[in-house]
Amino acid sequence: MKIVLRLAWRNLWRHPRRTWLTTGAMVFSNILLVFMISLQFGMYGLMIDNALQIFTGHMQVQAPDYKDDQKMRQIVPDIVPLAKTIREELDSEMVAARGLTFALASSEERSFGIGIYGVEPEFEARVSNIPGLVSTGRYLAESDAAEIVIGGVLARNLRVGVGDELTLLGSGLDGSFAATVVDIVGVFDSGVNDIDRNIAEIPIGLFQDTFFMEGAGHQIVIVGDGLGAVPELQARVQSVLPADSNLVVPDWDELLPGLKQAIQADMGSSFFMYFVLVVLVSFSVLNTQLMSVLERTREFGIVMALGLKPGRLGRLVVLETAMMGLIGTAIGIVAGGIVTSWFTTNGLAFPGMDEMAARFNLPARMYPEINAFTLLAGPAIVFIFTMLAAIYPAVRLRWQNPVDAMRVA
Amino acid sequence: MRIFGVLFRLAWRNLWRNHRRTIIMLGAIGVGVWAMIFMTALTRGMVDQMITDSIGVLPGHVQMHHPDYQDDPSIANRISISDADLKDKFDDAGFEAWASRVRVPAIITSERESRGVTLLGVDPAAESEISFFDYEGVEGRFLDDAADKGIVIGEELADTLETEIGKRVVLMSQDPDNEIADRGFRIVGLYSASTKAVEEAYAFIGKTTAQKMLHIDDATTEVVFLGDDYRNVEPIYDAVTSAVDDSVSVRRWYEIDTYLGTMMNVMDGFVLVWVVVIFMALSFGLVNTLVMAVFERVREIGLMLALGMKPGSILGQIIIESMLLMTLGLAAGNFLAWATVTPLESGIDVSIVSEGMEMWGAASVLYPKLYASDMILASGVVLLLGFLASLSPAWRASRYEPVEAITKV
Amino acid sequence: MSAVRCVDLCKTYRQGDQDIKALDHVSIEIGKGEFVCLSAPSGGGKTTLLNAIGGLDIPDSGEVYVDGERIDNLSKGELADLRLQHIGFVFQAYNLIPVLSARENVEFVMQVQGMPAAERREKSNAILKEVGLEGLEGRRPAEMSGGQQQRVAVARAIASRPALVLADEPTANLDSKTADELMELFTLLNKHHNTTFVIATHDQRVMTYAGRLIRMLDGRIVDDIDQRAA
Repeated sequence: MKIVLRLAWRNLWRHPRRTWLTTGAMVFSNILLVFMISLQFGMYGLMIDNALQIFTGHMQVQAPDYKDDQKMRQIVPDIVPLAKTIREELDSEMVAARGLTFALASSEERSFGIGIYGVEPEFEARVSNIPGLVSTGRYLAESDAAEIVIGGVLARNLRVGVGDELTLLGSGLDGSFAATVVDIVGVFDSGVNDIDRNIAEIPIGLFQDTFFMEGAGHQIVIVGDGLGAVPELQARVQSVLPADSNLVVPDWDELLPGLKQAIQADMGSSFFMYFVLVVLVSFSVLNTQLMSVLERTREFGIVMALGLKPGRLGRLVVLETAMMGLIGTAIGIVAGGIVTSWFTTNGLAFPGMDEMAARFNLPARMYPEINAFTLLAGPAIVFIFTMLAAIYPAVRLRWQNPVDAMRVA
Repeated sequence: MRIFGVLFRLAWRNLWRNHRRTIIMLGAIGVGVWAMIFMTALTRGMVDQMITDSIGVLPGHVQMHHPDYQDDPSIANRISISDADLKDKFDDAGFEAWASRVRVPAIITSERESRGVTLLGVDPAAESEISFFDYEGVEGRFLDDAADKGIVIGEELADTLETEIGKRVVLMSQDPDNEIADRGFRIVGLYSASTKAVEEAYAFIGKTTAQKMLHIDDATTEVVFLGDDYRNVEPIYDAVTSAVDDSVSVRRWYEIDTYLGTMMNVMDGFVLVWVVVIFMALSFGLVNTLVMAVFERVREIGLMLALGMKPGSILGQIIIESMLLMTLGLAAGNFLAWATVTPLESGIDVSIVSEGMEMWGAASVLYPKLYASDMILASGVVLLLGFLASLSPAWRASRYEPVEAITKV
Repeated sequence: MSAVRCVDLCKTYRQGDQDIKALDHVSIEIGKGEFVCLSAPSGGGKTTLLNAIGGLDIPDSGEVYVDGERIDNLSKGELADLRLQHIGFVFQAYNLIPVLSARENVEFVMQVQGMPAAERREKSNAILKEVGLEGLEGRRPAEMSGGQQQRVAVARAIASRPALVLADEPTANLDSKTADELMELFTLLNKHHNTTFVIATHDQRVMTYAGRLIRMLDGRIVDDIDQRAA
């Protein structure tokens, strides 16, 4: 066996330049794949985290169909006590009740239609990063105070600041006219234009009084210890819901179907690109190995005439390809890892990226995420395709007749 | 130059000497070029549609506002030129597709729900050239004229509001004195757009009706202009700018929606990067093929040198061979791209990830677009880089010493 | 004026750790229209001398004149021109460009010289007929026998009417009958066109065709016989 290995190795270096060029194609693709896959998965992780951290949480308790329609009357009754029960069951503070409606917010000079969240001030900060993003003034303090925090763009559009009053006009749960006057205590800047322009938060007690909610709300947001723990948490939450209620516990994926699909759409186009790269590398390998078989036709003819079976020669070709593939894979993983590591510490930015990133609430610099999967997936596939490319040249040997082979000059 | 004929003949025959290698290489170049153009066509189609859609809804190619309107989109910041004067200015000056609108934020309330919307007071006659949706496709009917008393909203918004054609809704906004301006409307039509976000965002009423409701006489808040090509808006921009004074601000679409503007530039950049990356993956195979071709032909290259052929001619011969290979591969790739993109131009349904596409700002049907300029760009880049990549092996070949080359076994 | 004149040529090669004197103070003069055989055992220096005369190799010292013009100090490009315009070559093997047909091989030099197509065609037809390859013009080298290939090479060497034809072991790969035919052809062309021929060989029978026989050994000329006189 050892002699076969040595033979394969020597054959590989008969044309060092050719071997290096073919390996180079693999290394090039591997570096690119490691980098791109790491970058993508880093970005996806961030996209999910950031999207969920703003409002959605890992799961919510809602009335059925609320996630599709978000209508005023699709309520969770007695929402504050229910949130308390869930907190106790989970032994976690990361549970908060909310109400949501749309109303006209009017300052002295301007009026805009906005979304108004009624939140539990003491727990909201555990499930959402909005409270932490208050840049002027403070966040809400008491559950019944006539206070509001609004987005920065909204404040500018309404021409108001901390200390000013806003009038909220809307409809109550029963469809009747609802109105209240609140003091602006804080302005938040999330950096996401849609949120900063359209959203305000008031305490849930005030929300329930103003919109005649009779103790009800629309969603209880729950955050767990990471996405992996979601199914288990979901089951526990489900178990403490009142037996006679038809409330549901959709997880983040059901709440924001667009998020996963945005990732899938992006993955789809990326995988097309990766596939093309891999196919091009296979062509390169196929070409090299076919050349190396054809130019050795005479030599193979002689050893076959000596009684060596074509199958063994085929295995030799496969072995040579495997050696070349391993070199390309090893160098590719190391070089790809080095290049990617540099970007994991220094980040990557290109002109225009901040605009694109803001749409997904992402930072303007992207940091790839290296792990075993992102490091090995690409090179592994390149290696597999490299081996597939060796099949034709190896099989071709079987068709060869030793005498014909020897006759080739 | 007379020598070109013989060089070309030699290059062409040599190309087919090792036909398997040439065919594999042609396959690789063909697939690579196909992928370049196919991917570009998809991207172009997506961005084109995003931009065309958004330009329909949003700014037109060029838009005119009160200078403060962008920061404070309120009725207070309306255009100081009366509608009649605008007509004089633009109709007579030969602007074909233009329209003045009243656009203000408002609250729309049905019997059951309320939502914030963007209210558009339009003149249907002027809009037909410009607007983003197909009037014929409206369920029910579109507005008859500027004085129509009805309202047209999106299908998605009608769902949310639990309302339908024939039912009444109330619009609430603000007049220039900051008083609430409201009015009831009967829904006369429902439109559908390429994304749900659009269907939820815009409500159309007659321009004159809007002016009455908002107490603004003959004023409008925006004038939009449409040209033939979103990539070339300068002529309209210049014409509009010279027709008005600086009591209004005139801007191009990409200055208004910076996300779209950035998207266009990023995609242009992406196309080039993609073409170069694919070429790099190809170049290893190309150089490899040429190196081997030169290596196999040492003796005859030596012979040609001995017979008195100039080294420059040897160089030229190898480069012609490489260019022939590239040209054939390009022809195959371009044809393949044309053959695969053309049937898809009627649209690729990606609605399984529609909400994800919406997050990227794209619609759920992709219409790939084959631009001659992209095909030329891809082909040009491949030929140029192919030429550069062939220089090294060709140079080597031309440096052979005839005596050594000829006696090499 | 002589066709070729060499003055005191020296050339040393390194092979392994041994210096080999391929040319050791060689001086010869070859007149126009002469038919010369250079004979030497392998490594005797005949190929080196031939290459030096043909401008394929530059001697370490000494002078080479072709048609009275000194060539050992020319640049590579000038040497290429010299070979193209004034010298025809016939090598031992691999004489032909594999992708070109017999006619195209013959026309190759003329084409590189820039001769118009009609003139080329006329000359190549005539010469192919003269070397006895009528009807085989369209064949590629791989489709011809060794003797036919050498005839094509000869045809190419003389097609553009060079003053001097250099042939290095032209018969080495041929059987004796074909070799005789090739030598008859050389003799014929020498008489017919008054072209100077210098043929390097170690084949005894080839030497009998030569008007003048120059023997070399270890890089030196040991014998220079005018066979016509004898």
